Amino acid sequence: MVQKDGGGATTFYKRKIVNTLNLDEMSETETLTMTESENVESAIPLKEETQKENKMKYYLSIVIDKSKSLFFACIGLLLFGGFWSFMSSYTENELPGPVATLTVMQEMLSDPFYDYGPNDKGIGLLLVASVGTVLSGFLIGSVVAIPLGILMGASKTFKQILYPLVQLLKPVSPLAWFPIGLVVFKDTGMATIFIVFITSLWSTVINTSFGIGSIPQDHKNVAKAFGFSKWRYLTKILIPFSLPHIITGLRLSIGVAWLVIVAGEMLSGASGIGFFVWDSWNALSLEKVISAILIIGIVGLLFDKLFTFIENKVSYKA
Amino acid sequence: MSYLEIKDLEISFPTPEGKYVAVRDINLSIEKGEIISIIGHSGCGKSTIMNAIGGMTIPTGGSVELAGKKIKGPGPDRGIVFQNYSLLPWLTVYQNIFQAVDAVMDCSKKEKQEIVTNNLSMVSLLQHKDKLPGQLSGGMKQRVAIARAFAINPGVLLLDEPFGALDALTKGTMQLELLKLWNLSGRDKTIVMITHDIEEAIFLSDRIVVLNNGPASTIREIENVHLPRPRNKIEIVKMPEYLEIRDRLLHLLTDKFSVEDMGVVYKK
Ligand SMILES: Nc1ncnc2c1ncn2[C@@H]1O[C@H](COP(=O)(O)OP(=O)(O)OP(=O)(O)O)[C@@H](O)[C@H]1O
Ligand SMILES: [Mg+2]
Repeated sequence: MVQKDGGGATTFYKRKIVNTLNLDEMSETETLTMTESENVESAIPLKEETQKENKMKYYLSIVIDKSKSLFFACIGLLLFGGFWSFMSSYTENELPGPVATLTVMQEMLSDPFYDYGPNDKGIGLLLVASVGTVLSGFLIGSVVAIPLGILMGASKTFKQILYPLVQLLKPVSPLAWFPIGLVVFKDTGMATIFIVFITSLWSTVINTSFGIGSIPQDHKNVAKAFGFSKWRYLTKILIPFSLPHIITGLRLSIGVAWLVIVAGEMLSGASGIGFFVWDSWNALSLEKVISAILIIGIVGLLFDKLFTFIENKVSYKA
Repeated sequence: MSYLEIKDLEISFPTPEGKYVAVRDINLSIEKGEIISIIGHSGCGKSTIMNAIGGMTIPTGGSVELAGKKIKGPGPDRGIVFQNYSLLPWLTVYQNIFQAVDAVMDCSKKEKQEIVTNNLSMVSLLQHKDKLPGQLSGGMKQRVAIARAFAINPGVLLLDEPFGALDALTKGTMQLELLKLWNLSGRDKTIVMITHDIEEAIFLSDRIVVLNNGPASTIREIENVHLPRPRNKIEIVKMPEYLEIRDRLLHLLTDKFSVEDMGVVYKK
Protein backbone atom coordinates (compact mmCIF):
# COMPACT_ATOMS: atom_id res chain seq x y z
CA MET A 1 0.00 0.00 0.00
CA VAL A 2 2.67 2.38 1.10
CA GLN A 3 4.82 1.50 -1.87
CA LYS A 4 1.98 2.06 -4.26
CA ASP A 5 1.38 5.50 -2.88
CA GLY A 6 5.06 6.30 -3.24
CA GLY A 7 5.01 5.14 -6.84
CA GLY A 8 2.09 7.40 -7.57
CA ALA A 9 3.95 10.33 -6.13
CA THR A 10 6.99 9.77 -8.33
CA THR A 11 5.01 9.55 -11.54
CA PHE A 12 3.27 12.72 -10.56
CA TYR A 13 6.63 14.34 -9.99
CA LYS A 14 7.90 13.16 -13.35
CA ARG A 15 4.82 14.52 -15.06
CA LYS A 16 5.43 17.83 -13.47
CA ILE A 17 8.88 17.98 -15.02
CA VAL A 18 7.46 17.11 -18.43
CA ASN A 19 5.00 19.87 -17.97
CA THR A 20 7.55 22.55 -17.20
CA LEU A 21 9.49 21.49 -20.27
CA ASN A 22 6.39 22.06 -22.35
CA LEU A 23 5.90 25.44 -20.81
CA ASP A 24 9.38 26.41 -21.89
CA GLU A 25 8.64 25.25 -25.40
CA MET A 26 5.52 27.35 -25.39
CA SER A 27 7.14 30.54 -24.25
CA GLU A 28 9.74 30.08 -26.96
CA THR A 29 7.11 29.94 -29.68
CA GLU A 30 5.48 32.94 -28.07
CA THR A 31 8.59 35.06 -28.33
CA LEU A 32 9.02 33.91 -31.91
CA THR A 33 5.59 35.21 -32.83
CA MET A 34 6.32 38.45 -31.08
CA THR A 35 9.42 39.21 -33.10
CA GLU A 36 8.32 37.91 -36.48
CA SER A 37 4.78 38.89 -37.04
CA GLU A 38 4.59 36.94 -40.31
CA ASN A 39 5.20 33.78 -38.36
CA VAL A 40 2.10 34.18 -36.26
CA GLU A 41 0.02 31.66 -38.18
CA SER A 42 2.70 29.00 -38.22
CA ALA A 43 3.29 28.91 -34.47
CA ILE A 44 4.32 25.37 -33.55
CA PRO A 45 1.27 23.66 -32.02
CA LEU A 46 1.65 21.66 -28.84
CA LYS A 47 2.04 17.92 -29.35
CA GLU A 48 -1.33 16.21 -29.35
CA GLU A 49 -0.30 13.84 -26.58
CA THR A 50 0.69 16.57 -24.19
CA GLN A 51 -2.49 18.41 -25.01
CA LYS A 52 -4.47 15.33 -24.03
CA GLU A 53 -2.46 14.96 -20.88
CA ASN A 54 -3.08 18.59 -19.94
CA LYS A 55 -6.79 18.09 -20.52
CA MET A 56 -6.81 14.99 -18.32
CA LYS A 57 -5.00 16.88 -15.60
CA TYR A 58 -7.49 19.72 -15.87
CA TYR A 59 -10.46 17.39 -15.43
CA LEU A 60 -8.72 15.55 -12.62
CA SER A 61 -8.16 18.79 -10.73
CA ILE A 62 -11.86 19.63 -11.14
CA VAL A 63 -12.90 16.22 -9.80
CA ILE A 64 -10.56 16.64 -6.81
CA ASP A 65 -11.95 20.10 -6.14
CA LYS A 66 -15.55 18.90 -6.33
CA SER A 67 -15.00 15.89 -4.08
CA LYS A 68 -13.25 18.11 -1.57
CA SER A 69 -16.21 20.48 -1.29
CA LEU A 70 -18.57 17.49 -1.18
CA PHE A 71 -16.55 16.08 1.69
CA PHE A 72 -16.82 19.30 3.67
CA ALA A 73 -20.55 19.56 2.92
CA CYS A 74 -20.92 16.07 4.37
CA ILE A 75 -19.11 17.17 7.52
CA GLY A 76 -21.63 20.00 7.89
CA LEU A 77 -24.54 17.63 7.39
CA LEU A 78 -23.13 15.18 9.93
CA LEU A 79 -22.73 17.96 12.50
CA PHE A 80 -26.31 19.02 11.85
CA GLY A 81 -27.52 15.40 12.19
CA GLY A 82 -25.62 15.06 15.46
CA PHE A 83 -27.17 18.21 16.88
CA TRP A 84 -30.59 17.07 15.71
CA SER A 85 -30.17 13.65 17.38
CA PHE A 86 -29.06 15.38 20.55
CA MET A 87 -32.10 17.67 20.55
CA SER A 88 -34.33 14.69 19.88
CA SER A 89 -33.01 12.70 22.84
CA TYR A 90 -33.00 15.88 24.94
CA THR A 91 -36.77 16.28 24.33
CA GLU A 92 -37.18 12.54 24.95
CA ASN A 93 -38.17 11.92 21.33
CA GLU A 94 -40.94 14.47 21.35
CA LEU A 95 -38.93 15.95 18.53
CA PRO A 96 -38.42 12.98 16.21
CA GLY A 97 -34.84 12.08 15.47
CA PRO A 98 -33.18 11.67 12.07
CA VAL A 99 -33.80 7.95 11.80
CA ALA A 100 -37.52 8.16 12.59
CA THR A 101 -37.91 11.09 10.24
CA LEU A 102 -36.03 9.49 7.39
CA THR A 103 -38.16 6.35 7.72
CA VAL A 104 -41.33 8.43 7.38
CA MET A 105 -39.80 10.40 4.56
CA GLN A 106 -38.92 7.22 2.71
CA GLU A 107 -42.52 6.12 3.07
CA MET A 108 -43.71 9.45 1.72
CA LEU A 109 -41.35 9.27 -1.22
CA SER A 110 -42.13 5.63 -2.04
CA ASP A 111 -45.54 6.63 -3.43
CA PRO A 112 -45.37 10.35 -4.09
CA PHE A 113 -48.17 10.67 -6.64
CA TYR A 114 -51.22 9.03 -5.04
CA ASP A 115 -54.44 10.99 -5.01
CA TYR A 116 -57.17 10.10 -2.50
CA GLY A 117 -59.27 13.22 -2.80
CA PRO A 118 -58.51 16.91 -2.19
CA ASN A 119 -57.17 16.49 1.35
CA ASP A 120 -55.02 13.43 0.85
CA LYS A 121 -52.46 13.63 -1.91
CA GLY A 122 -48.92 12.30 -2.35
CA ILE A 123 -46.03 14.61 -1.55
CA GLY A 124 -45.04 14.67 -5.23
CA LEU A 125 -48.42 16.03 -6.31
CA LEU A 126 -48.35 18.64 -3.54
CA LEU A 127 -44.88 19.70 -4.60
CA VAL A 128 -45.97 19.97 -8.22
CA ALA A 129 -48.87 22.18 -7.14
CA SER A 130 -46.60 24.46 -5.10
CA VAL A 131 -43.94 24.71 -7.79
CA GLY A 132 -46.69 25.45 -10.33
CA THR A 133 -48.06 28.28 -8.20
CA VAL A 134 -44.60 29.72 -7.59
CA LEU A 135 -43.64 29.55 -11.25
CA SER A 136 -46.85 31.21 -12.46
CA GLY A 137 -46.60 34.03 -9.92
CA PHE A 138 -42.89 34.39 -10.56
CA LEU A 139 -43.29 34.43 -14.34
CA ILE A 140 -46.01 37.09 -14.29
CA GLY A 141 -43.99 39.05 -11.75
CA SER A 142 -40.85 38.91 -13.88
CA VAL A 143 -42.70 39.92 -17.02
CA VAL A 144 -43.84 43.03 -15.16
CA ALA A 145 -40.66 43.65 -13.16
CA ILE A 146 -38.02 43.48 -15.92
CA PRO A 147 -39.58 46.18 -18.18
CA LEU A 148 -40.26 48.32 -15.11
CA GLY A 149 -36.65 47.92 -14.04
CA ILE A 150 -35.42 48.80 -17.53
CA LEU A 151 -37.58 51.94 -17.54
CA MET A 152 -36.33 52.92 -14.09
CA GLY A 153 -32.72 52.33 -15.05
CA ALA A 154 -32.95 54.17 -18.35
CA SER A 155 -35.01 57.18 -17.33
CA LYS A 156 -34.47 59.39 -14.35
CA THR A 157 -38.08 60.54 -14.38
CA PHE A 158 -39.39 56.99 -14.22
CA LYS A 159 -37.01 56.28 -11.40
CA GLN A 160 -38.24 59.30 -9.49
CA ILE A 161 -41.83 58.17 -9.98
CA LEU A 162 -41.38 54.48 -9.21
CA TYR A 163 -38.53 54.18 -6.76
CA PRO A 164 -40.36 55.65 -3.73
CA LEU A 165 -43.22 53.27 -4.46
CA VAL A 166 -40.85 50.32 -4.55
CA GLN A 167 -39.23 51.42 -1.31
CA LEU A 168 -42.64 51.78 0.31
CA LEU A 169 -44.00 48.41 -0.75
CA LYS A 170 -40.88 46.23 -0.64
CA PRO A 171 -40.66 45.86 3.16
CA VAL A 172 -44.30 44.77 3.46
CA SER A 173 -44.69 41.08 4.14
CA PRO A 174 -46.27 39.56 1.04
CA LEU A 175 -48.78 37.75 3.23
CA ALA A 176 -50.39 41.11 3.96
CA TRP A 177 -51.46 41.18 0.31
CA PHE A 178 -53.43 37.97 0.70
CA PRO A 179 -56.75 39.58 1.68
CA ILE A 180 -56.45 42.00 -1.20
CA GLY A 181 -55.86 39.10 -3.57
CA LEU A 182 -58.93 37.36 -2.15
CA VAL A 183 -61.11 40.41 -2.64
CA VAL A 184 -59.93 40.98 -6.17
CA PHE A 185 -59.88 37.38 -7.41
CA LYS A 186 -62.43 35.71 -5.10
CA ASP A 187 -60.29 32.56 -5.23
CA THR A 188 -57.66 31.30 -2.79
CA GLY A 189 -55.53 29.75 -5.53
CA MET A 190 -55.42 32.99 -7.46
CA ALA A 191 -54.77 34.93 -4.28
CA THR A 192 -51.75 32.72 -3.57
CA ILE A 193 -50.41 33.32 -7.08
CA PHE A 194 -51.02 37.01 -6.46
CA ILE A 195 -48.83 37.14 -3.35
CA VAL A 196 -46.07 35.25 -5.16
CA PHE A 197 -46.42 37.78 -7.98
CA ILE A 198 -46.01 40.70 -5.56
CA THR A 199 -43.03 38.98 -3.92
CA SER A 200 -41.30 38.41 -7.23
CA LEU A 201 -41.35 42.05 -8.20
CA TRP A 202 -38.95 43.85 -5.92
CA SER A 203 -35.56 42.20 -6.26
CA THR A 204 -35.97 41.95 -10.02
CA VAL A 205 -37.03 45.59 -10.40
CA ILE A 206 -34.20 46.86 -8.23
CA ASN A 207 -31.47 44.71 -9.75
CA THR A 208 -32.61 45.35 -13.30
CA SER A 209 -32.73 49.10 -12.84
CA PHE A 210 -29.34 49.01 -11.17
CA GLY A 211 -27.90 46.96 -14.04
CA ILE A 212 -29.28 49.28 -16.72
CA GLY A 213 -28.33 52.38 -14.74
CA SER A 214 -24.72 51.33 -14.28
CA ILE A 215 -23.75 50.74 -17.91
CA PRO A 216 -20.26 52.29 -18.00
CA GLN A 217 -19.71 55.42 -20.06
CA ASP A 218 -17.01 53.51 -21.97
CA HIS A 219 -19.56 51.12 -23.41
CA LYS A 220 -21.93 53.94 -24.27
CA ASN A 221 -19.04 55.73 -25.98
CA VAL A 222 -18.47 52.73 -28.23
CA ALA A 223 -22.09 52.90 -29.32
CA LYS A 224 -21.82 56.64 -29.84
CA ALA A 225 -18.51 56.61 -31.70
CA PHE A 226 -19.50 53.82 -34.08
CA GLY A 227 -23.07 54.97 -34.59
CA PHE A 228 -24.86 51.92 -33.19
CA SER A 229 -28.56 51.83 -33.96
CA LYS A 230 -31.03 51.57 -31.05
CA TRP A 231 -31.45 47.89 -31.79
CA ARG A 232 -27.71 47.21 -31.89
CA TYR A 233 -27.28 49.14 -28.64
CA LEU A 234 -30.03 47.09 -27.04
CA THR A 235 -28.76 43.69 -28.18
CA LYS A 236 -25.01 44.24 -28.06
CA ILE A 237 -24.58 46.53 -25.07
CA LEU A 238 -27.63 47.03 -22.87
CA ILE A 239 -28.81 43.44 -22.61
CA PRO A 240 -25.39 41.72 -22.38
CA PHE A 241 -24.30 44.17 -19.71
CA SER A 242 -27.43 44.02 -17.58
CA LEU A 243 -28.37 40.37 -18.05
CA PRO A 244 -26.22 39.15 -15.13
CA HIS A 245 -27.86 41.76 -12.90
CA ILE A 246 -31.33 40.78 -14.09
CA ILE A 247 -30.65 37.09 -13.48
CA THR A 248 -29.37 37.89 -9.99
CA GLY A 249 -32.64 39.74 -9.37
CA LEU A 250 -34.62 36.76 -10.64
CA ARG A 251 -32.63 34.40 -8.45
CA LEU A 252 -33.32 36.47 -5.35
CA SER A 253 -36.98 36.84 -6.34
CA ILE A 254 -37.62 33.14 -6.80
CA GLY A 255 -35.86 32.46 -3.50
CA VAL A 256 -38.23 34.75 -1.64
CA ALA A 257 -41.19 33.47 -3.65
CA TRP A 258 -40.43 29.93 -2.56
CA LEU A 259 -40.08 31.20 0.99
CA VAL A 260 -43.48 32.84 0.79
CA ILE A 261 -45.37 30.01 -0.89
CA VAL A 262 -45.22 27.79 2.20
CA ALA A 263 -46.64 30.50 4.42
CA GLY A 264 -49.18 31.44 1.75
CA GLU A 265 -50.44 27.90 1.42
CA MET A 266 -50.64 27.53 5.17
CA LEU A 267 -52.78 30.65 5.15
CA SER A 268 -54.98 29.63 2.23
CA GLY A 269 -55.15 26.00 3.27
CA ALA A 270 -55.95 25.08 -0.28
CA SER A 271 -53.19 22.82 -1.46
CA GLY A 272 -49.49 22.39 -1.89
CA ILE A 273 -46.57 21.70 0.38
CA GLY A 274 -47.50 24.51 2.79
CA PHE A 275 -50.90 22.99 3.28
CA PHE A 276 -49.17 19.64 3.88
CA VAL A 277 -47.04 21.13 6.66
CA TRP A 278 -50.09 22.58 8.33
CA ASP A 279 -52.09 19.38 7.91
CA SER A 280 -49.27 17.25 9.32
CA TRP A 281 -48.95 19.55 12.29
CA ASN A 282 -52.68 19.20 12.95
CA ALA A 283 -52.30 15.43 12.71
CA LEU A 284 -49.38 15.75 15.15
CA SER A 285 -46.98 14.07 12.75
CA LEU A 286 -43.78 15.99 13.36
CA GLU A 287 -41.87 13.46 11.24
CA LYS A 288 -43.89 14.61 8.26
CA VAL A 289 -43.36 18.27 9.15
CA ILE A 290 -39.60 17.82 9.31
CA SER A 291 -39.58 15.76 6.13
CA ALA A 292 -41.48 18.55 4.42
CA ILE A 293 -38.97 21.09 5.74
CA LEU A 294 -36.12 19.08 4.25
CA ILE A 295 -37.91 18.72 0.92
CA ILE A 296 -38.75 22.44 0.83
CA GLY A 297 -35.10 23.19 1.50
CA ILE A 298 -33.91 20.91 -1.27
CA VAL A 299 -36.32 22.38 -3.83
CA GLY A 300 -35.24 25.91 -2.82
CA LEU A 301 -31.61 24.89 -3.21
CA LEU A 302 -32.34 23.50 -6.68
CA PHE A 303 -34.00 26.77 -7.74
CA ASP A 304 -30.98 28.69 -6.52
CA LYS A 305 -28.56 26.33 -8.26
CA LEU A 306 -30.47 26.64 -11.51
CA PHE A 307 -30.31 30.42 -11.47
CA THR A 308 -26.69 30.47 -10.35
CA PHE A 309 -25.95 28.25 -13.33
CA ILE A 310 -27.70 30.69 -15.68
CA GLU A 311 -25.95 33.59 -13.99
CA ASN A 312 -22.56 32.03 -14.66
CA LYS A 313 -23.57 31.33 -18.25
CA VAL A 314 -24.40 34.98 -18.98
CA SER A 315 -21.73 36.69 -16.92
CA TYR A 316 -18.49 37.85 -18.50
CA LYS A 317 -15.04 38.84 -17.36
CA ALA A 318 -14.39 42.54 -17.61
CA MET B 1 -10.70 77.46 -44.46
CA SER B 2 -8.96 74.27 -43.46
CA TYR B 3 -10.39 70.77 -43.46
CA LEU B 4 -10.48 70.54 -39.68
CA GLU B 5 -10.83 73.89 -37.99
CA ILE B 6 -10.65 74.36 -34.24
CA LYS B 7 -11.66 77.89 -33.25
CA ASP B 8 -11.35 79.45 -29.77
CA LEU B 9 -12.15 76.08 -28.29
CA GLU B 10 -12.92 76.08 -24.58
CA ILE B 11 -14.05 73.05 -22.63
CA SER B 12 -15.02 73.17 -18.99
CA PHE B 13 -16.56 70.64 -16.68
CA PRO B 14 -18.98 71.31 -13.87
CA THR B 15 -17.52 70.14 -10.57
CA PRO B 16 -18.70 70.48 -6.96
CA GLU B 17 -16.16 73.30 -6.51
CA GLY B 18 -17.46 75.13 -9.54
CA LYS B 19 -16.54 75.24 -13.21
CA TYR B 20 -13.26 73.51 -14.06
CA VAL B 21 -11.80 74.84 -17.29
CA ALA B 22 -9.75 72.05 -18.83
CA VAL B 23 -8.62 73.80 -22.03
CA ARG B 24 -9.21 77.22 -23.54
CA ASP B 25 -8.18 79.39 -26.50
CA ILE B 26 -7.32 76.41 -28.65
CA ASN B 27 -6.92 77.46 -32.27
CA LEU B 28 -5.74 74.91 -34.75
CA SER B 29 -6.22 74.49 -38.48
CA ILE B 30 -5.55 71.03 -39.81
CA GLU B 31 -5.33 70.31 -43.53
CA LYS B 32 -6.70 67.18 -45.14
CA GLY B 33 -4.07 64.45 -45.06
CA GLU B 34 -2.03 65.97 -42.27
CA ILE B 35 -0.65 63.94 -39.39
CA ILE B 36 -0.78 65.92 -36.16
CA SER B 37 0.53 64.86 -32.78
CA ILE B 38 -0.64 66.36 -29.52
CA ILE B 39 1.85 66.13 -26.72
CA GLY B 40 1.77 67.38 -23.15
CA HIS B 41 1.86 66.37 -19.55
CA SER B 42 -0.68 64.02 -18.06
CA GLY B 43 -3.97 65.73 -17.28
CA CYS B 44 -3.31 68.77 -19.49
CA GLY B 45 -6.37 68.18 -21.64
CA LYS B 46 -5.21 66.14 -24.62
CA SER B 47 -8.05 63.64 -24.44
CA THR B 48 -10.48 66.48 -23.87
CA ILE B 49 -9.50 68.14 -27.16
CA MET B 50 -9.61 64.78 -28.92
CA ASN B 51 -13.09 64.11 -27.58
CA ALA B 52 -14.26 67.45 -28.90
CA ILE B 53 -13.03 66.53 -32.39
CA GLY B 54 -14.63 63.13 -32.04
CA GLY B 55 -17.91 64.73 -31.04
CA MET B 56 -17.96 62.86 -27.74
CA THR B 57 -18.00 66.10 -25.75
CA ILE B 58 -19.66 69.30 -26.81
CA PRO B 59 -17.44 72.41 -26.46
CA THR B 60 -18.51 74.98 -23.88
CA GLY B 61 -16.98 77.67 -26.05
CA GLY B 62 -15.75 78.08 -29.62
CA SER B 63 -16.26 75.44 -32.25
CA VAL B 64 -14.79 72.52 -34.12
CA GLU B 65 -15.59 72.32 -37.81
CA LEU B 66 -14.95 69.41 -40.12
CA ALA B 67 -15.14 70.07 -43.88
CA GLY B 68 -16.98 73.29 -43.18
CA LYS B 69 -19.58 71.73 -40.91
CA LYS B 70 -19.76 72.23 -37.18
CA ILE B 71 -19.23 68.97 -35.29
CA LYS B 72 -22.30 68.20 -33.22
CA GLY B 73 -21.68 64.55 -32.39
CA PRO B 74 -19.71 61.48 -33.36
CA GLY B 75 -19.88 60.14 -36.87
CA PRO B 76 -18.48 57.41 -39.10
CA ASP B 77 -16.22 59.98 -40.78
CA ARG B 78 -14.04 59.84 -37.66
CA GLY B 79 -12.56 56.66 -36.20
CA ILE B 80 -11.57 56.83 -32.56
CA VAL B 81 -9.10 54.75 -30.59
CA PHE B 82 -9.99 55.49 -26.99
CA GLN B 83 -7.27 55.80 -24.39
CA ASN B 84 -8.80 52.94 -22.39
CA TYR B 85 -9.49 50.75 -25.47
CA SER B 86 -13.26 50.60 -24.77
CA LEU B 87 -13.85 47.07 -25.99
CA LEU B 88 -17.10 45.31 -25.18
CA PRO B 89 -16.10 42.54 -22.77
CA TRP B 90 -18.84 40.09 -23.79
CA LEU B 91 -17.94 40.16 -27.47
CA THR B 92 -15.03 38.28 -29.00
CA VAL B 93 -12.19 40.17 -30.63
CA TYR B 94 -13.77 39.43 -33.99
CA GLN B 95 -17.24 40.54 -32.93
CA ASN B 96 -15.93 43.73 -31.34
CA ILE B 97 -14.65 44.81 -34.73
CA PHE B 98 -17.47 43.28 -36.73
CA GLN B 99 -20.20 45.13 -34.81
CA ALA B 100 -18.51 48.45 -35.54
CA VAL B 101 -18.02 47.58 -39.21
CA ASP B 102 -21.57 46.30 -39.45
CA ALA B 103 -22.92 49.50 -37.92
CA VAL B 104 -20.90 51.85 -40.11
CA MET B 105 -20.17 50.22 -43.45
CA ASP B 106 -22.65 49.87 -46.25
CA CYS B 107 -21.67 46.66 -48.03
CA SER B 108 -22.42 42.95 -48.17
CA LYS B 109 -21.87 40.72 -45.18
CA LYS B 110 -19.08 38.89 -46.97
CA GLU B 111 -17.23 42.12 -47.63
CA LYS B 112 -17.65 43.13 -44.00
CA GLN B 113 -16.19 39.83 -42.84
CA GLU B 114 -13.29 40.34 -45.20
CA ILE B 115 -12.66 43.83 -43.78
CA VAL B 116 -12.60 42.46 -40.24
CA THR B 117 -10.25 39.64 -41.15
CA ASN B 118 -7.88 41.95 -43.02
CA ASN B 119 -7.67 44.40 -40.14
CA LEU B 120 -7.19 41.61 -37.63
CA SER B 121 -4.26 40.23 -39.56
CA MET B 122 -2.85 43.75 -39.90
CA VAL B 123 -2.53 43.90 -36.11
CA SER B 124 -1.42 40.21 -35.98
CA LEU B 125 -4.42 39.11 -33.96
CA LEU B 126 -6.11 36.78 -36.41
CA GLN B 127 -5.24 33.71 -34.36
CA HIS B 128 -6.78 35.33 -31.28
CA LYS B 129 -10.01 36.35 -33.00
CA ASP B 130 -12.25 34.15 -30.84
CA LYS B 131 -10.88 35.34 -27.51
CA LEU B 132 -12.74 37.69 -25.22
CA PRO B 133 -11.10 41.00 -24.22
CA GLY B 134 -10.68 39.67 -20.67
CA GLN B 135 -8.33 37.03 -22.08
CA LEU B 136 -6.06 39.56 -23.82
CA SER B 137 -3.01 41.44 -22.67
CA GLY B 138 -3.10 45.24 -22.53
CA GLY B 139 -1.20 45.59 -25.78
CA MET B 140 -3.46 43.11 -27.53
CA LYS B 141 -6.55 45.03 -26.42
CA GLN B 142 -4.99 48.19 -27.77
CA ARG B 143 -4.37 46.51 -31.11
CA VAL B 144 -8.01 45.40 -31.28
CA ALA B 145 -9.07 49.00 -30.68
CA ILE B 146 -6.71 50.14 -33.47
CA ALA B 147 -8.06 47.51 -35.86
CA ARG B 148 -11.60 48.59 -35.04
CA ALA B 149 -10.89 52.25 -35.80
CA PHE B 150 -9.02 51.40 -39.01
CA ALA B 151 -11.70 48.96 -40.14
CA ILE B 152 -14.42 51.55 -40.58
CA ASN B 153 -12.05 53.37 -42.95
CA PRO B 154 -12.72 56.90 -41.69
CA GLY B 155 -11.45 60.10 -43.24
CA VAL B 156 -10.14 61.26 -39.87
CA LEU B 157 -8.37 58.97 -37.43
CA LEU B 158 -8.32 60.09 -33.79
CA LEU B 159 -5.82 58.09 -31.81
CA ASP B 160 -5.50 58.61 -28.07
CA GLU B 161 -2.13 57.13 -27.08
CA PRO B 162 -2.72 54.27 -29.50
CA PHE B 163 0.64 52.60 -28.98
CA GLY B 164 1.12 53.45 -25.32
CA ALA B 165 0.77 49.91 -24.03
CA LEU B 166 2.95 48.28 -26.67
CA ASP B 167 6.54 47.11 -26.42
CA ALA B 168 9.09 48.87 -28.61
CA LEU B 169 9.08 46.19 -31.32
CA THR B 170 5.32 45.94 -31.70
CA LYS B 171 5.07 49.71 -31.48
CA GLY B 172 7.46 50.07 -34.42
CA THR B 173 5.42 47.63 -36.48
CA MET B 174 2.18 49.42 -35.65
CA GLN B 175 3.65 52.81 -36.54
CA LEU B 176 4.62 51.42 -39.93
CA GLU B 177 1.13 49.98 -40.36
CA LEU B 178 -0.32 53.39 -39.61
CA LEU B 179 1.91 55.03 -42.22
CA LYS B 180 1.10 52.26 -44.69
CA LEU B 181 -2.61 52.90 -44.24
CA TRP B 182 -2.04 56.60 -44.67
CA ASN B 183 -0.02 56.07 -47.84
CA LEU B 184 -2.61 53.65 -49.21
CA SER B 185 -5.23 56.37 -48.84
CA GLY B 186 -3.03 58.55 -51.07
CA ARG B 187 -2.00 60.47 -47.94
CA ASP B 188 -5.57 61.68 -47.86
CA LYS B 189 -6.47 60.55 -44.36
CA THR B 190 -6.14 63.08 -41.58
CA ILE B 191 -4.61 61.67 -38.43
CA VAL B 192 -4.69 63.34 -35.03
CA MET B 193 -2.81 61.41 -32.44
CA ILE B 194 -1.97 61.87 -28.80
CA THR B 195 1.33 60.53 -27.61
CA HIS B 196 3.81 60.76 -24.78
CA ASP B 197 6.64 59.59 -26.97
CA ILE B 198 8.69 62.41 -28.52
CA GLU B 199 10.50 60.13 -30.99
CA GLU B 200 7.19 58.70 -32.15
CA ALA B 201 5.72 62.17 -32.59
CA ILE B 202 8.65 63.32 -34.75
CA PHE B 203 8.77 60.11 -36.77
CA LEU B 204 5.08 60.25 -37.69
CA SER B 205 3.92 63.85 -37.67
CA ASP B 206 3.81 66.87 -39.93
CA ARG B 207 3.18 69.08 -36.93
CA ILE B 208 3.44 68.57 -33.19
CA VAL B 209 1.16 70.51 -30.88
CA VAL B 210 2.60 71.04 -27.41
CA LEU B 211 0.11 71.90 -24.68
CA ASN B 212 0.68 73.84 -21.49
CA ASN B 213 -0.08 72.27 -18.18
CA GLY B 214 -3.63 72.57 -16.87
CA PRO B 215 -5.87 73.89 -15.53
CA ALA B 216 -7.12 75.99 -18.43
CA SER B 217 -4.25 74.86 -20.60
CA THR B 218 -3.58 76.42 -23.96
CA ILE B 219 -1.35 75.61 -26.90
CA ARG B 220 2.22 76.31 -25.92
CA GLU B 221 3.91 75.78 -29.23
CA ILE B 222 3.35 74.17 -32.59
CA GLU B 223 6.44 72.45 -33.95
CA ASN B 224 6.67 71.88 -37.72
CA VAL B 225 8.43 68.72 -38.83
CA HIS B 226 9.82 69.09 -42.31
CA LEU B 227 11.68 65.79 -42.43
CA PRO B 228 11.28 64.24 -45.90
CA ARG B 229 8.91 61.32 -46.36
CA PRO B 230 9.08 58.37 -46.51
CA ARG B 231 10.99 58.55 -43.25
CA ASN B 232 13.30 55.86 -42.08
CA LYS B 233 13.64 55.59 -38.35
CA ILE B 234 17.33 54.85 -38.45
CA GLU B 235 18.10 57.56 -41.00
CA ILE B 236 16.14 60.43 -39.47
CA VAL B 237 17.71 60.23 -36.04
CA LYS B 238 21.00 61.28 -37.67
CA MET B 239 19.48 64.34 -39.34
CA PRO B 240 20.28 67.67 -37.68
CA GLU B 241 16.68 68.81 -37.98
CA TYR B 242 15.51 65.79 -36.07
CA LEU B 243 17.93 66.50 -33.26
CA GLU B 244 16.92 70.16 -33.14
CA ILE B 245 13.23 69.34 -32.91
CA ARG B 246 13.82 66.71 -30.29
CA ASP B 247 15.85 69.11 -28.17
CA ARG B 248 13.25 71.82 -28.43
CA LEU B 249 10.46 69.42 -27.45
CA LEU B 250 12.50 68.15 -24.55
CA HIS B 251 13.04 71.72 -23.36
CA LEU B 252 9.35 72.46 -23.66
CA LEU B 253 8.28 69.37 -21.80
CA THR B 254 10.90 69.17 -19.09
CA ASP B 255 11.37 72.31 -17.07
CA LYS B 256 13.89 70.59 -14.90
CA PHE B 257 16.62 68.46 -16.35
CA SER B 258 18.00 66.51 -13.43
CA VAL B 259 17.39 65.80 -9.80
CA GLU B 260 19.95 68.49 -8.93
CA ASP B 261 17.69 71.04 -10.61
CA MET B 262 14.92 69.94 -8.31
CA GLY B 263 16.96 70.99 -5.33
CA VAL B 264 18.32 67.61 -4.39
CA VAL B 265 21.81 68.03 -2.93
CA TYR B 266 24.15 65.07 -2.75
CA LYS B 267 26.27 64.72 0.32
CA LYS B 268 29.90 64.11 -0.47
N1 LIG C 1 -15.77 64.49 -17.14
C1 LIG C 1 -14.91 65.29 -16.48
N2 LIG C 1 -15.30 65.96 -15.38
C2 LIG C 1 -14.45 66.77 -14.71
N3 LIG C 1 -13.17 66.96 -15.05
C3 LIG C 1 -12.72 66.31 -16.14
C4 LIG C 1 -13.56 65.43 -16.91
N4 LIG C 1 -12.83 64.94 -17.93
C5 LIG C 1 -11.59 65.45 -17.79
N5 LIG C 1 -11.52 66.29 -16.73
C6 LIG C 1 -10.35 67.05 -16.30
O1 LIG C 1 -9.79 67.70 -17.41
C7 LIG C 1 -8.38 67.66 -17.36
C8 LIG C 1 -7.84 67.10 -18.64
O2 LIG C 1 -8.18 65.73 -18.76
P1 LIG C 1 -7.72 64.86 -20.00
O3 LIG C 1 -8.34 63.52 -19.86
O4 LIG C 1 -8.02 65.59 -21.24
O5 LIG C 1 -6.16 64.77 -19.78
P2 LIG C 1 -5.03 64.14 -20.72
O6 LIG C 1 -4.18 65.24 -21.21
O7 LIG C 1 -5.66 63.26 -21.73
O8 LIG C 1 -4.19 63.28 -19.68
P3 LIG C 1 -3.49 61.83 -19.86
O9 LIG C 1 -2.24 62.04 -20.60
O10 LIG C 1 -3.23 61.42 -18.46
O11 LIG C 1 -4.47 60.97 -20.56
C9 LIG C 1 -8.01 66.86 -16.13
O12 LIG C 1 -7.63 67.73 -15.11
C10 LIG C 1 -9.28 66.14 -15.76
O13 LIG C 1 -9.39 66.01 -14.36
MG1 LIG D 1 -5.80 61.26 -22.00
